Amino acid sequence: MAFRGFGGFTTSGLIAAAILWSFATTDVELSRLMSAGPRIADFLGRMFPPDPTVMAEIKKGSAETLRIAILGTLGAVILSVPLGILASETMVSPAVFRPIRTLLAFIRAIPLILVAMLMVGAVGLGPLPGIIAVAFHATGMLAKFYAEAIDGVSRAPIAALESAGAGPLVRLRYAIWPQMAPVVARDTIFRFELNLRESLILGIVGAGGIGFYIQTYVRSFQYDKAASVTIAVVVMVIAIEAINVALRRRFA
Amino acid sequence: MNIAIRIDDLNFAHPGGSVPALERVSLTISTGESVALLGPSGAGKTTLLALLDGRLQGWRGRVSVLGAPLDPDQPPPRASRPDTGFVFQEFALVERSTVLRNVLNGRLGRMAPLRALLGSPTPHDLDIARTALTDCGIADLAERRVDSLSGGQRQRVAIARCLAQEPRLILADEPVSNLDPTRAGEVLALLTGAAQARGATALFSSHQPDLARRFAQRIIGIRGGRIAFDVPASELNEDATAELYRAVEPIPGIGLRAVS
Repeated sequence: MAFRGFGGFTTSGLIAAAILWSFATTDVELSRLMSAGPRIADFLGRMFPPDPTVMAEIKKGSAETLRIAILGTLGAVILSVPLGILASETMVSPAVFRPIRTLLAFIRAIPLILVAMLMVGAVGLGPLPGIIAVAFHATGMLAKFYAEAIDGVSRAPIAALESAGAGPLVRLRYAIWPQMAPVVARDTIFRFELNLRESLILGIVGAGGIGFYIQTYVRSFQYDKAASVTIAVVVMVIAIEAINVALRRRFA
Repeated sequence: MNIAIRIDDLNFAHPGGSVPALERVSLTISTGESVALLGPSGAGKTTLLALLDGRLQGWRGRVSVLGAPLDPDQPPPRASRPDTGFVFQEFALVERSTVLRNVLNGRLGRMAPLRALLGSPTPHDLDIARTALTDCGIADLAERRVDSLSGGQRQRVAIARCLAQEPRLILADEPVSNLDPTRAGEVLALLTGAAQARGATALFSSHQPDLARRFAQRIIGIRGGRIAFDVPASELNEDATAELYRAVEPIPGIGLRAVS
């Protein structure tokens, strides 16, 4: 591991100052942790045993979250293909890829939950604002990955096709795409996993999915039901991660 | 037309390079000739070949290829590019595609743009690709992926792709530098034979005088970006070859340069 960047005296000083400032200027009363023990115990006690009668809600919520992640990823892929091409050095001139890259960095800087809140305001409650938010938010990363995949391929076959008289799109199709396809598959699967994890909480702002039930049960003090939904979320995340590990191995 | 390449007082320096890569180069190659460019590494062989393929700009002088003058400041029109075929030193194949796909890639410049993009070769394109594979002795490898092939097999795929292009001029950059002497002889025989059978002109670079003598009718020695000699293959003598490969020594006032 390289910790060389942290070795400097100035860097260490800055980090120490940041930590001290955080403790000093906010109302971090560590004493409150001491008295929280019994309340946490009470909270956990009311979660147990989890209430299994909410199976129907869990199924409905999980299916909706999965649909948001799938359709959101699809939307992101559709947006990222042209934007990725326009953000790559190989395909376009700096006059095009520089502003597109800035735009993508801007999109990445907006948190998903914020986009989701805006979309709920724009199109109303339900999975649709969630799908739009995921597609928008994921495009910032996926288009950048696609551009890097295009720029990461070997240049020699591109030059060979150009020498044979092939145009830019034909070169993309036959010299660049075969080389970048495994990278694109890997990046898209990775982004799908992130989309699923991130869309779990979309329900909290009314943008659809299983998060809605967690929020409803916690707010109405039905902790045993909230516990069941939480278990379902954990199972879903582990299952998707296992599937992704298997898929990634296949595309290695 | 009986002149394939005409070069008049060609000068070129790589951007940022202090020493010219090509200096006062003039030569003429007739249609159907088989010519070897002989010279040590860094002599300017690759530069000259890439320039003739229209991949280098910013040179001075007059160059015409297959009767059309090259523009020193921009690449040649796409329509004319299939006429000049190029065999790259490091093969430049798409590793994850099949042999047949790579050879069909040589047809892309000859296909209608939409057909090329959609990837639907005509029976004629397929026929030419298969003939090129057969001529190169690799018809049985058509469905194999390039990343599963040996160096010699890859070289044959690279030549087959060039032939599928139906070029009237074949430029080859060190086409056998990665091969053992037996394979090298076979591949050069294939390259020059295929060019002759198609009435195409062949210009290949090499740093092996014996191979150049066996497979070219004419040998052009190049050193330090200048033409050192230009002789029929039968007249290539030991002294000229030795002089060509003599270690480059600094000469006071001139810098790193060969004496011609």
